[in-house]
Amino acid sequence: MKGFGQRFTAFFFIIASIALLIFGRSQTRLIEEIRAQIFATFIPVIQVVDFPREATSSLSDWFRNIAVVYSDNEFLRAENAELKSQLAASTELEVDNLRLKNLLKIKDGTVTTITASRIVSDSNSPFFKSMLINSGTNDGVKKGHAVVNEDGIIGRIINVAPNSARVLLLNDINSRIPVKFAKSGVNVILAGDNSMTLKINFMPNEEKALVGDIILTSGMGGVFPPDMAVGKVSEVTEIGEIRIKPAVDLNRLNYVSVIAYEIASFPVLNQEQGEENGETGNNGDQ
Amino acid sequence: MSISQSNEKSFGLKSVIPFFTVVFLIILMVLPYNMPLISDIMPYLTLIGVYYWSVFKPEYMPVSVVFAIGILQDILLGSPLGLTSLLLVVVQQFIFFQGRRFLERDFLFNWFVFVMIVIGFGTLTWIIVSLYFRVFLDYIGIIGQILLTIAFYPLITWLLGNTKKMVS
Repeated sequence: MKGFGQRFTAFFFIIASIALLIFGRSQTRLIEEIRAQIFATFIPVIQVVDFPREATSSLSDWFRNIAVVYSDNEFLRAENAELKSQLAASTELEVDNLRLKNLLKIKDGTVTTITASRIVSDSNSPFFKSMLINSGTNDGVKKGHAVVNEDGIIGRIINVAPNSARVLLLNDINSRIPVKFAKSGVNVILAGDNSMTLKINFMPNEEKALVGDIILTSGMGGVFPPDMAVGKVSEVTEIGEIRIKPAVDLNRLNYVSVIAYEIASFPVLNQEQGEENGETGNNGDQ
Repeated sequence: MSISQSNEKSFGLKSVIPFFTVVFLIILMVLPYNMPLISDIMPYLTLIGVYYWSVFKPEYMPVSVVFAIGILQDILLGSPLGLTSLLLVVVQQFIFFQGRRFLERDFLFNWFVFVMIVIGFGTLTWIIVSLYFRVFLDYIGIIGQILLTIAFYPLITWLLGNTKKMVS
């Protein structure tokens, strides 16, 4: 009888797991909240367990930095001199760009840095590519915010708790990011497939990609601001598959920035449209 | 406090040790190691934990606890909810079906049975996740995970064996 009871309990939990797999797929608000609450509870525990590894890593980084500080300094001086020479040309181009945008009445979106966060957990799985960061709704993080670092884009927020959030990495199989080729401006979709390189979808047949082509965000979709570094074409196969090497080293992430991108509103155009509507309305009254 | 009450309390505290050891193994699985290879072939440490306790102390690893461990792992890893709980409960039922006495033999025999289980576990994971995402997923990573899990088995069971002495 006891054996039967145990088997019945096991059968119940197997059915419950299958039900969760099926119904959890829809990512209902309730399931998302439960997920968020549970991983939020475990964040402090993970941080405590991670402390020895983090401390060792920081210490080894410190020693490494000390060892290379002289060569780094030389390199940075040379880079600084080069950047200074580029600054003048860049400022001039920026002014020209702004003037032309004003002429065409183009409005840029606004990018706001919400917070800088530390990565506290990694899915470490060949099938799921996501990370937990130690910032959440308390810091202003919302679902859909972009996650970046100084090298380029990393992913987007898919689940938020008060003190933590889950980031879907750009190489996850569920990740789709609107991007463009920097040189030609062709808009395509960047798709993850759980590997360390990404693939390009919806490349127009008449367009050609070359190894080394730079890929930037297109700004479509409203998650990532336009013109952020995504990566470079690393391979174009015989069957026409284009592989992209991300600009960001996804295996060496420690700190990230969460940013919010707000697509520009067009007050001038709306005003004009409103005036037109108003005129139509008046005509109607007449 | 009577002696019987004191014993009950100590039994209660001991009974949660296996659960916490497996939770600790889950946390070890989700730490950001920042190593290219590890992120793709992280061994199934929780499987080792659940297998070990189900063989040697099944009274402390009831099916409800195994289910909870699976759900917790799915939440912390970001995997589909129900995936790990389903697989761990199935593994535990397989162990119970074989019978404890069958598995409670020498280490090498136990390891051999575990090799069979981890191959099944990995294959089922790959099949379910492929069906879930409706994509034929690359299986190279799962082969690495299986091999590394087999390699980690002696170390983890040695650690759990020492913990078991506290529980016994």
